[in-house]
Amino acid sequence: MKLHEKILTHYLSCTSPVDKEGYLYKKKKRNDTYHRRWFVLKANLLFYQERPADRHLLGVIVLEGCAVQHPESDTHFAFSLVFGPGLKTYRFAARDRQTQESWVKALHSASYCYLSLLVKDLRRQYEETIQQQGLGESHPSVSSLKQSTNSFLFTTMQQTAVVREGRSLSASTLLQAPSIPAKMVAKKSPKLWPRRNAYVTPLNGPAPLYGEWPLVGFDPLEDFSTLHDYYGQEVKKAREEWLKSRQKEEDHTDQDLIDLG
Amino acid sequence: MRFNEKELVLLSRQPSERAAELGMRGPKKGDVVKKRLVKLVVNFLFYFRTDEEEPIGALLLEQCRVEREDSQTFSIAFLDEAERKYVFECDTEAQCGEWIDSIKQASYEFMRKNLIFYRTEIHRLTGKDPLEQYGISDEARFQVSNGRPLMARDTSSL
Repeated sequence: MKLHEKILTHYLSCTSPVDKEGYLYKKKKRNDTYHRRWFVLKANLLFYQERPADRHLLGVIVLEGCAVQHPESDTHFAFSLVFGPGLKTYRFAARDRQTQESWVKALHSASYCYLSLLVKDLRRQYEETIQQQGLGESHPSVSSLKQSTNSFLFTTMQQTAVVREGRSLSASTLLQAPSIPAKMVAKKSPKLWPRRNAYVTPLNGPAPLYGEWPLVGFDPLEDFSTLHDYYGQEVKKAREEWLKSRQKEEDHTDQDLIDLG
Repeated sequence: MRFNEKELVLLSRQPSERAAELGMRGPKKGDVVKKRLVKLVVNFLFYFRTDEEEPIGALLLEQCRVEREDSQTFSIAFLDEAERKYVFECDTEAQCGEWIDSIKQASYEFMRKNLIFYRTEIHRLTGKDPLEQYGISDEARFQVSNGRPLMARDTSSL
C-alpha cells in the first residue's frame, strides 16, 4: 500500500504545533540493540529520524489501535507500543524516569480514537452544562449540536490491549492518563483560561463525522459500557490470544535491554 | 520512509460511515478517472480497487483543501499546491456534499479545535477544567492557542 509520504512530511513541517519531541532509544528487532533516534509526535503520528536537524525521515508510526505499556518494575525506563496479536510491538527506552513517564502520557492520548472519545465526552458535559444553566435554545451552539449525527468511534484493537480483568469499561476509564508515581506528580491549580479569542474556532456546523468502528445503529447517548458488551465477544477472544502470546513474551524479557558487554 | 503498513492496512479495513465507489483521478497531468472504493477512516482517506482487500493507497487528511468542482465533483489539494488536486466524482450532488463535509471535519486538527472549544466553554461556564479528571490537563496537544506556540516544546529528553 502506498502511503503518500510527501503529505506526511509536509504536515510534519507545517506550522501547526508539535505535541512532543525528543530523543528516545528505539529497539531494533533484528539484533535487539537500541539506537538513539529523534522522535516527533504530531497528532496521531510519531515520526523518527536520526537527529533533529536531519531532513531525511527514517520512519513514521501511525498511532491507531495501539496501547502504550510500561512495566511497573523497571530499571531501564522502557515502554512499548503494542498493536496486538500478530501485529507490531515497538520498544523504546528513555534516559530517565521523567522522560519515560512524559512520553507514556503523551502517547497514551495521541490517537485519533482517543481524541474522538474525549470530544464526545466533553460535548456531553457541555450540553449538560448548557441545560443545567438554563441557557437552552438561546445558546447558538446548542441547536447545531442537536442537529449533529453523532457517530461514536470505538477501537476493538485498543480495547484488546487495554482491557483489564474484571473492570467494567467506561469512557472515563479509557480516557484516564496512565498513573505516575506519586513523587512525580506536581499538583497544579486549575489554569485560568484566557478569554475566547479569534484563534479559538468555535463549532460552526454539525458535529464532526468520522469513521465509525464498527457500523451499527445505536443511540449516540448510549453508555459506553453497553457498547463494550456488544463487542465483548470478539474482544474477549482476541484478548485471550493476546494474553497467551504476552505470557510467552514476558518469559523472554528478563535480559538486559542494552548489552554493555 | 518506513511505516507500520500492516497496522495501517488493518485500520483501512475498519467499517466506515463514509465509504463509497467514486471516480477518482490523480493530480498528475495525464491521470485518468478510475473507479475506486474510497473510504474515510480517522484522518486517512484510503482508496481500493473494487473487491480488493488491501488499499492501493492512503492519503493523510491534514493541511488539505477540499473544494467543490461542480455539482457532483469535489477535489482535495495537498501541499499548498492548488493546481495539483485529487478529483472525486460522485453519483449525486447530495453525496458530493456529504463527502466534502466529512473530509473537512475528518482532520485531527479540526477535532482538536473542537476539543479546545468545549474545554474552554466548560471552564468558562463552570470554573472547572474538564480535562483534570483524566489527568491530561497539561498535555501540550490540548492547550488553548493564542497565536503563540502552544507550549514551550518539551525538550527534556535532549
